[in-house]
Amino acid sequence: MSNKPTHKTSSGELAGFVRLNEGIKGVVLIAFQINIMALNAILLAHRAGEVALGFGVISKELRSLSVELTGLMQELSNDAYLAVNLISDLLRQERRYRLLKKATDLVADPSPALRDVMVRREEEFSLITYRVRDVRLRLLDRLEDARKLCQFGTAISRSAKIEAAYGREYGRALAEVSQEFDQKIQNILPSIEALCTGMQRR
Amino acid sequence: MKTAQTIYQEGSHRWVVIARDPSKPNCVIDTNEYLISREGDNLLTDPGGSEIFPAVFAALSTIVDPMAIRYLFASHQDPDIISSLGLWLECNPEIRCYVSRLWSSFIPHFGGDENSLAAIPDEGMSMPLGSGQIEYVPAHFLHSSGNFHLYDPDARILFSGDVGAALMPPEEDELFVRDFDKHIRHAEGFHRRWMGSTEAKLDWCERASRMKIDMLCPQHGSIYQGDDVMRFINWFAELPVGLSTFRHRR
Ligand SMILES: [Fe+2]
Ligand SMILES: [Fe+2]
Repeated sequence: MSNKPTHKTSSGELAGFVRLNEGIKGVVLIAFQINIMALNAILLAHRAGEVALGFGVISKELRSLSVELTGLMQELSNDAYLAVNLISDLLRQERRYRLLKKATDLVADPSPALRDVMVRREEEFSLITYRVRDVRLRLLDRLEDARKLCQFGTAISRSAKIEAAYGREYGRALAEVSQEFDQKIQNILPSIEALCTGMQRR
Repeated sequence: MKTAQTIYQEGSHRWVVIARDPSKPNCVIDTNEYLISREGDNLLTDPGGSEIFPAVFAALSTIVDPMAIRYLFASHQDPDIISSLGLWLECNPEIRCYVSRLWSSFIPHFGGDENSLAAIPDEGMSMPLGSGQIEYVPAHFLHSSGNFHLYDPDARILFSGDVGAALMPPEEDELFVRDFDKHIRHAEGFHRRWMGSTEAKLDWCERASRMKIDMLCPQHGSIYQGDDVMRFINWFAELPVGLSTFRHRR
């Protein structure tokens, strides 16, 4: 069977999904920090009044971006959990398959009933393999969404920097906040990229 | 590869031992599996661990169609006894595995469910096999707290699980005990450490000495036959076992 993974690839895959979960945790933490920062920025813009109207709008955008990102990460995490379950099952089945196959190979003339057992095993096996593949594709789609979201975040954090320039006596405070936004978003992007390449490589 | 060897035959009633696997990994203890066949009914005792399943299956196939095995008997819950259960059920979902009631909800960790496991009550029971009967004889605490031996009164064979087991060096690894005194040295350490209860041991020895046994078949090591059976029972009765011996040895 061509799509039958070996034990080694499945355990590698398992490690990949476990790592993904760890990476997701990192992104969720940064998204949470952006959320708090955006909330403070909204309050700051409110205090600054007229001169920071634009900055306030952008901060709200960043805040909803962080909420959306957290939601996306939650979905990713659910899928990663599902994948880890499926692959653990696959590993167990692979072991059984290996032992049954060895038994069949050792028997001089395997009975049709024994051959049927092997065929059923292989069918079940490829079914799970397909399910893992589906989950991986869905994960990649969601990672792509997350990447776009971060690119959008980069663009608006740049706009925040420009808006800060109009902040008069609040200018300095607003510039600091927009700088931090930019840094946070820049921190997330590589994590998302790493998650994407980690998944694609399999 | 393990080999199958008939040790008893009377018409269609026979005992076959599956033993001695030179190709098994060194880290895995060698085990004896016994197939009891009678008028088309097949029972396999202590079918073994999952890693040796292919070897047991293949050796059996030289004697019977392994898919035709209907009953398994697990003397207790150890992995070398019954971790292959899931694989056997894979081949034949109708298989029933007889085991102490103590372990019937533990063994499904190796595979199977309430339909595939038949619980033996503490006092033991007998069961038809072909035209005859076999008996599940209590041997609790030797070494497992829920432990049985299997007695075939017509063949006068007692399958004794870990009782009588010996860890033999490869050069002395014979199928039957030839020189009792030499053999028993390889059984001593095992019995001292594994068999925890003097009370259980003496109770078993007393009952076993009243049974008609031509062959005492352990799960590891050589088979005792003839006078060596009684010799073993007497030796075991005398052997100090359990925690006191363990403390002294520390
Ligand atoms: Fe044991
Ligand atoms: Fe054992």
